[in-house]
Amino acid sequence: MIEIDLRLPLVHFELEVRCKLEASVTAVVGPSGSGKTSLLEALAGLRGRAKGRIAIDGALLLDSDGRIALPPEARGIGYVPQDAALFPHLTARENIRFARNDADRFDALVATLELAPLLDRRPATLSGGERQRVALARALMTEPRLLLLDEPLASIDQPLRDKILVYLRRIRDIQRAPMLYVTHQPFEALALASDCLVLRDGRIVAQGSPDSVMHDPAITGSAAIENVFHAIDPRHDATRGITRVSTAEGIELVLPHDQLAAATFPLVVRISGDDIVVLGERPAAISSRNVLEGSVIALHVGEGIADVTFATPARIHVRLTRDAAEDLRLGIGSRVWLALRSRAFRIVG
Amino acid sequence: MPAHACYSYPVTDLAILLFTLRVAATSTALIAPIALVLAALTWQAGARLRALIDAAATLPLVLPPTAVGFVLLAIFSRRRPAGALLARLGVGFLFTPRAVVLAAAVMSFPLVFMAFRAAIDSSEIRYFQIARTLGLGSIRAFIRVTLPLAWRGILGGIILGFCRAIGEFGATILIAGNIPGRTQTLALAIYNRVESGHEGDAVLLLIYVVLIALTSLIGSEVLIRRQQRRLSS
Repeated sequence: MIEIDLRLPLVHFELEVRCKLEASVTAVVGPSGSGKTSLLEALAGLRGRAKGRIAIDGALLLDSDGRIALPPEARGIGYVPQDAALFPHLTARENIRFARNDADRFDALVATLELAPLLDRRPATLSGGERQRVALARALMTEPRLLLLDEPLASIDQPLRDKILVYLRRIRDIQRAPMLYVTHQPFEALALASDCLVLRDGRIVAQGSPDSVMHDPAITGSAAIENVFHAIDPRHDATRGITRVSTAEGIELVLPHDQLAAATFPLVVRISGDDIVVLGERPAAISSRNVLEGSVIALHVGEGIADVTFATPARIHVRLTRDAAEDLRLGIGSRVWLALRSRAFRIVG
Repeated sequence: MPAHACYSYPVTDLAILLFTLRVAATSTALIAPIALVLAALTWQAGARLRALIDAAATLPLVLPPTAVGFVLLAIFSRRRPAGALLARLGVGFLFTPRAVVLAAAVMSFPLVFMAFRAAIDSSEIRYFQIARTLGLGSIRAFIRVTLPLAWRGILGGIILGFCRAIGEFGATILIAGNIPGRTQTLALAIYNRVESGHEGDAVLLLIYVVLIALTSLIGSEVLIRRQQRRLSS
């Protein structure tokens, strides 16, 4: 367990964070300038003015009252900044082995993160995604007791993001070190984290499961309309072109077989709330392979739009025009059918 | 100061050149580590301490070289503790090659220090910080990350200091004199010959000085380019 009770004066406000983290991955979200990076740097010991108390599994890293302030090298915290900050004068291999020369661990990380083709290249010749993977391996070589990731996907193009996310999930599942993961993207929090901190002006304004936090417009401003499912147990039917999966969220889905034939499970699939059709009655015949019955459990009507959360029983978030919402006479408890096209799902991996 | 009235010089031009090179190399080797440590300390120091170290380290740059020479002369005079101690130990200092090295070292120190500091300042502190999160103490992180990243500026500082030491004149003539075969450097010999009306005899020395400067500057440029190619390959 990570206990944080931290104060750090910044230019426009004081960072004041008090929380306990027990999840394997905790997402830290919030608008730009809300103190997310400062929080990570203070935890890593890079902000000398930080005061308060930080403990990991009872071991104190900072205790201003007891005059304990371990330097960064004694904290055992791995930190991957937004731009990876690989040492430019060293090759990828030298970067990874910079702190430790443990051959077994090196080989394992190179295999997990598929780094073998990159090892003899210098950072200047690596793409954003490759740099992030090398930086991740470099941090993990030290067997950190906490891993801090600052928007690792921010500088990476969309097609590659999903791929890196797969690596991050692999690391989460293989490494035992808990992660603190700063992100702007609701989807990343939903796909990776089981706990979520919302930071605003240096303070935590909400903490909870990513699904509850990231879809609450009162907390995140404009609600994220993204649905993420953790798919397991595939049943392929190549002739009919479909793969049926169960999900950790408790619903069955039908997905396109061609995109899943070679996939490794479990995997994450996502569908935007803009791509879901809401029907007032059960359709007699429809091309969408996923028709789920649900009821409205949350409704936020804004300027021209309505964000609606349905229980199916998995929570599904949909964004409609206000006109559509009024036409369907949606209110809390309304029963509807949701149509999710198989091909509207994105397979993250 | 002995004046040269005849055309035959007691020491060959080559000997003067070699002596000057030896003095410049020794003085640069002496001050480079000190300048590096001081530059590293100011990098991590608070603003007030930094300003203080900056002022003290760059003072010889803004003072007239003869003023610096005068201060050194006062310090190492046999009537003062430092000079008296050296005399008791049997170490001759004023008007010896040691004094030439000291004058060159003191006068070139600010340039070396400033170049080192600019080089270290420009190597991003983030790399140093990341190295520390990877378990390296501040000295090891500095040596393994900051120094290799700052090496171009460090090399530039060393060359600048070396060239400045070659050209040192004002402080040297006050504490070491201008003794042919003992303390006479290229700069002093050029002065001597021009002053005594033998400009023609100074031309070869002038060529030496220009060649040293050009070789140093071009050599460092080549090294830097080669390293840059290596980094981006």
